[in-house]
Amino acid sequence: MSPTPEIVFAGTNGGALTEIADYEAVGGFQALAKSRALTPDDVIAELNASNLRGRGGAFFPTGRKWSFVPKPDKIDKPHYLVINADESEPGTFKDREIMLRVPFRFLEGSLIAAHAIESKHIFIYIRGEYEVEFEVLVAALEQMRAKDLLGAVTIVVHRGAGAYICGEETALLESLEGRRGLPRTKPPFPAIAGLYASPTAVNNVESITSATTVMEIGGAEYAKLGVENSTGTRVFSLSGNVVNGGNYELPHGYPLRDLINELGGGIADGRSLKAVIPGGSSTVILTADEANTVTLDFDSLVGAGTAIGSAAVIALDDRCCMVQLAVRVSQFYEHESCGKCTPCRVGTKWLTSILQKIEDGRGTQADMNLLVSVAERINGKCLCPLGDSDAIAVMSYFDKFRDEFQAHIDEGGCPFHGESSLDHLLAPVAMHIALPEGKAIDGLINV
Amino acid sequence: MSTLSLYDEIQEIRARYPESLSAVMPALQLAQERSGGWLPEQAFRDVADALDLTPAYCLSIASFYDMFRLEPIGETVIEVCTNISCGLKGAQQVLEAFESELGLKAGDTTDEFTLRTVECLGGCGWATIVAVNNRHRLHVQAGDVPRIVAELRGSEWKEPDEPDA
Amino acid sequence: MSSGELVTVTIDDRDVAVPKGTGLVEAAASAGIEIPVFCYEPRLGPPVGACRMCLVEVEGLPKLQAGCTLTAQEGMVVKTAASSEKAAEGQNATLEFILVNHPLDCPVCDKGGECPLQDLTFRYGPGNTRMSFSKITLEKPIPVSPLIALDRERCILCYRCTRFSSDVAEDNQLVARNRGAHTEITTFESDPYRAPFSGNVIELCPVGALTSTQYRFEARPWEIQNVPTVCGLCSVGCNINATVREGKVKRILSRNHPEVDGGWLCDKGRFTYPHLIAEDRITEPLVRGELGLEPVSWDAALDRAEALLREAGTRTVTALSGTESVEQAYALARLLRGGLGAHTAVLPESTSDALDAFRLPLSSIAQAEIVVIVGDDDLADRAPIVDLWLKAAGRNGAEIVRYGPTGTEPTGPGGAAAALRALAGSGNELGDRLRAADRAILVWSGSGGGGGARLAEAAHALGFAEKPGSGAFHLPATPNGRGVATAWAAAADEDEANPEPIGLLIISGDRAAADPAVRALAERAEHVIAVTMFHDLAVGWADLVLPATSSLESDGTLLNLEGRLQRLRRTVIAPVPDELAWISQLAGRFDVELSPHAVVVFDELSAVAFGGVDGSELNGTAPLPARTPYEAPPPAAEVKPATPARPAAGHFLGELRLLRYRPLFSGPFVERVGELAFQRPPAELELCTADAERRSIATGDHVVVKSNGTSVELRARINRGLVAGVARVADEHAADLHLHVEVVKP
Ligand SMILES: Cc1cc2nc3c(=O)[nH]c(=O)nc-3n(C[C@H](O)[C@H](O)[C@H](O)COP(=O)(O)O)c2cc1C
Ligand code: SF4
Ligand code: FES
Repeated sequence: MSPTPEIVFAGTNGGALTEIADYEAVGGFQALAKSRALTPDDVIAELNASNLRGRGGAFFPTGRKWSFVPKPDKIDKPHYLVINADESEPGTFKDREIMLRVPFRFLEGSLIAAHAIESKHIFIYIRGEYEVEFEVLVAALEQMRAKDLLGAVTIVVHRGAGAYICGEETALLESLEGRRGLPRTKPPFPAIAGLYASPTAVNNVESITSATTVMEIGGAEYAKLGVENSTGTRVFSLSGNVVNGGNYELPHGYPLRDLINELGGGIADGRSLKAVIPGGSSTVILTADEANTVTLDFDSLVGAGTAIGSAAVIALDDRCCMVQLAVRVSQFYEHESCGKCTPCRVGTKWLTSILQKIEDGRGTQADMNLLVSVAERINGKCLCPLGDSDAIAVMSYFDKFRDEFQAHIDEGGCPFHGESSLDHLLAPVAMHIALPEGKAIDGLINV
Repeated sequence: MSTLSLYDEIQEIRARYPESLSAVMPALQLAQERSGGWLPEQAFRDVADALDLTPAYCLSIASFYDMFRLEPIGETVIEVCTNISCGLKGAQQVLEAFESELGLKAGDTTDEFTLRTVECLGGCGWATIVAVNNRHRLHVQAGDVPRIVAELRGSEWKEPDEPDA
Repeated sequence: MSSGELVTVTIDDRDVAVPKGTGLVEAAASAGIEIPVFCYEPRLGPPVGACRMCLVEVEGLPKLQAGCTLTAQEGMVVKTAASSEKAAEGQNATLEFILVNHPLDCPVCDKGGECPLQDLTFRYGPGNTRMSFSKITLEKPIPVSPLIALDRERCILCYRCTRFSSDVAEDNQLVARNRGAHTEITTFESDPYRAPFSGNVIELCPVGALTSTQYRFEARPWEIQNVPTVCGLCSVGCNINATVREGKVKRILSRNHPEVDGGWLCDKGRFTYPHLIAEDRITEPLVRGELGLEPVSWDAALDRAEALLREAGTRTVTALSGTESVEQAYALARLLRGGLGAHTAVLPESTSDALDAFRLPLSSIAQAEIVVIVGDDDLADRAPIVDLWLKAAGRNGAEIVRYGPTGTEPTGPGGAAAALRALAGSGNELGDRLRAADRAILVWSGSGGGGGARLAEAAHALGFAEKPGSGAFHLPATPNGRGVATAWAAAADEDEANPEPIGLLIISGDRAAADPAVRALAERAEHVIAVTMFHDLAVGWADLVLPATSSLESDGTLLNLEGRLQRLRRTVIAPVPDELAWISQLAGRFDVELSPHAVVVFDELSAVAFGGVDGSELNGTAPLPARTPYEAPPPAAEVKPATPARPAAGHFLGELRLLRYRPLFSGPFVERVGELAFQRPPAELELCTADAERRSIATGDHVVVKSNGTSVELRARINRGLVAGVARVADEHAADLHLHVEVVKP
């Protein structure tokens, strides 16, 4: 299948549109003008017609999300638009490229969204590690202010500081409010009581940028792209053992096989495909066989027992030890667990320990059962999806590559004998270690 | 820069937000920048003072996030992403190359360098990602490391006579 | 919370009807069904759903739900662990995870036997462990403060303690540090948890992670008794339980009176009980002999007292502390006024009954729309719990305005009355809003104001008498100042005669003994009888010292600042006879009939002063009497307007007005508890930014404070919230400084 023309990256010609004049030259800000001429409800109707769905992971219809924000006369509080630019799901790097190459299209979308939900305050929560992207946005905003494009709307770019959990929308709001990024219980949902307990829409960078496109070409036109239930284009992040990693803007419904083999140039180093993680590290893994049959859209991936997630496709070749993969993925969730709820905080660490024991060759048959049991005890019990993701991802490796886990037990060690690509991969060294020893407190009566 | 101007600058940051508590992260980021890349005790006290918070509160915030540093760091911070996409592309070899080139273990700090591993930096398709003082280098391979280190040390880099295959 | 409307939920196949808005945990409890919890504690604010102990199955939802985060909805069908295998499995899982790192040191844990984790593990937990890795080990216990120890291994990260610190006390001193499995509870660096309410976290902790250093290893739960009483240390009278083992108080716990204290207790109330066993506690009567004070028998002491009383007769003056129970004060008054005709008393402070027309429970503050506070003192120093109610009001969206030297409306010292007059006058914008509000509260926190009379006038002028949700509170400086004044007045109605020269001064209580004004009187008196608990307050100047008891050792009644009578109960036997016992004996010698039993004395007093209220109604959680009709108090004596701080100009820096305050952590009891020393105020002088800058003074500098030939060296601290022209210092560090001081760098 050959890719259709880009719409999110339209006009870039492979480069970047970081000068406002260049963006205007390719029709920039016309969608905004068009939207502002419409009522908020009409903008939402256009979005609904497009059937644009959230690109952050949950695939929730964007227009509907906006329609949940109460009208200003219903609630006497300011409305907020918060844009999730925390992009931290392993495998995902699309929002970054959008901000770098089409910052104005993204910012234009944010103004359209603000108009739709009748908000005057936009916060862009960008992950702290994206320093260049932050600078590009700040520079773009300067140019827009100079042209008075913001109107009465204020846009604050707020930098995160390194915490994956802050991509979860309620944790993000907590963090933006100046608290530890701990997810909130829902309800209330952000649409009713989000930022500062006020009506808030939280949207992903790509969703917002696509909104510009929707308003540009019209909802009905947009809905013609892609497939049923998964309309429009999607920026897929391709990584792992492919020749050409990178972001590819493709219509939904594009075959996964083609992304890897044609656009991605196939598996590197003459190896063969073993498995694919289709939607970021939280999603269920696909075997090579499964990967060859699915298309990149919501229904096809759900049908295969997995999810489109953040559209981050990670291809693994035959050198990858699945137990090592499980260890590393579990280490990630353990490291990123916020520590609020018990099953996630304790369970992810325990899961890592069991996996590491198996990888080290010290595992027993009982540990295999324990692994399953602990994962089941995490899954569905946590406050937010982070802990569940660890259990779901790890269990999918176990279910689909059980022989490999069993081989670790039977051989008393890793069957790859040091040849796996993830061998001995070192997880992050914690920066803020627990206080090693007790501290002295003045006037203490010894306890 | 004097404490007074940190105070004033934090007031400016504060004014950007509907509620001043939101300023705590940017204020800590600023204080960290002013304190040589990490947050000594006094920085917490200054930020707390400027925002009518307690130092304990500021510590609870800073310690939640990986990018706030509670210990002194080297002048150059080298962070190697070792999440799966980079891992599949040889991140561990890149890390080990840094370790041997710098004579440090991951997690170590000298006046000159801090070397550590980090979770996904959001550059997976361009693996391996190495952040040098928060600027990302893409497609880093183990073989590139000696040149990078030499560049960071400001010394002349000479191509080895017989480069390894 | 509850409107009239009821909703019906089905829990474990039983229909439960509860008011709309009721939490699921409470709804279940009302039907006798337990939904076990750790992190859930409604007093800490909205549920957080952290621990996952409360997992239940809700019909129509695929995943288990945290029961604590749900409210009962009409038609909701819930299954708890009792009827759902899935829920039981979920709870078992949570406990297994909690126990993964929890040490098995229950045998040596203070919480053992009264530990929710033990109990819930017993009921819902796994029988054995599948955790084959080593548990996280950390050094333990580590100090959180000299009062509180933290065992990080035992902590289950329910965040109750940190939520208390941030969301109830709002001190933000105890926080969570790090993330994920590395999270731990801590204070900042080596700072102790120094805040008035820190001790509540010990009670909140559902495991033995936060323990009291005073109580550590002192008792096992089956050896103790909890005696319900009220705290006698300030005018609030928080309800407490005294844990007693073998006749000794071992700890003080809060006992929730929802209208008075909401189940919280300040550290003074919680941690000062060791004063009972202070080294310098007086246990025998002492008579001044040739060699100074010498112990004598009680018979000899009473003989001496009788002789001193007969000699002085009506020339006897009584100085009261305001710490006495109403029965003690009444008994003294019966003896002195009835027996001797000695009517003169130095009352600890003036009080006013006029406020009874604007009476409300303290808890009503939390629901207020507007609260206006006047006065020079911080609420927490006078009546700490009131500060917690005020913070609750703030969180509920109330507008809070403070007139005072550290207020939101900066006012010079002594400006309270003027501020109120302005509010009550016409054309005052805030005053108009107070008039218009349904729930407005006035608080007077400081000296002056005729003990609340001026406040009552303002409340009256603002129309509060007609509004059941609006009210006024005067915060007295002494725990029972009003009760003591009432009791003294009830014993006789003759006029006071000012005896000169004073034949005998009776000093009742340590607070009066420590009062410089009372000491000045003592110098003029021919003889002095002191009734005190501690040596150093009596030696040197009393002719006869009679040992006193503490409120933890007496039966009796206190009248709190709301006008609520509350029962004091003897929690332990005092090492000395009760005051009532010897006062009644002495009274007999003057033909005054007086029972030694508090209950009997109360009945007699109640008939004259408290409308005949039955003492037995005051047990448990005492009720608040209804409002009385407003009666205008006597008009204010002509007061000079507060001296404004003299403006500083040019090269002359000028004088500052010295504002002394009496910190919460001060007084004879606090001074006797070493582990409370860190809570006492540092020797520092607070200045506003402008006054400090003008003198080139920075926080931490040493400064010399001078007035009339006296000088004191203190550490300076810039307080951005302080009004200009004022220097603020704790009483105990102000020595003999006068009203106007010069502040210079040495
Ligand atoms: C653990 C976790 C991490 C997440 N990280 C991100 C993220 O980095 N970026 C993002 O846009 N959404 C992320 N999400 C999804 C957000 O919660 C939210 O659904 C999204 O921002 C909504 O925007 P959308 O409707 O435009 O997709 C994350 C969710 C979870 C549970
Ligand atoms: S110390 Fe106690 S109250 Fe605080 S989080 Fe730990 S278990 Fe909960
Ligand atoms: S009690 Fe419900 S999650 Fe803790």
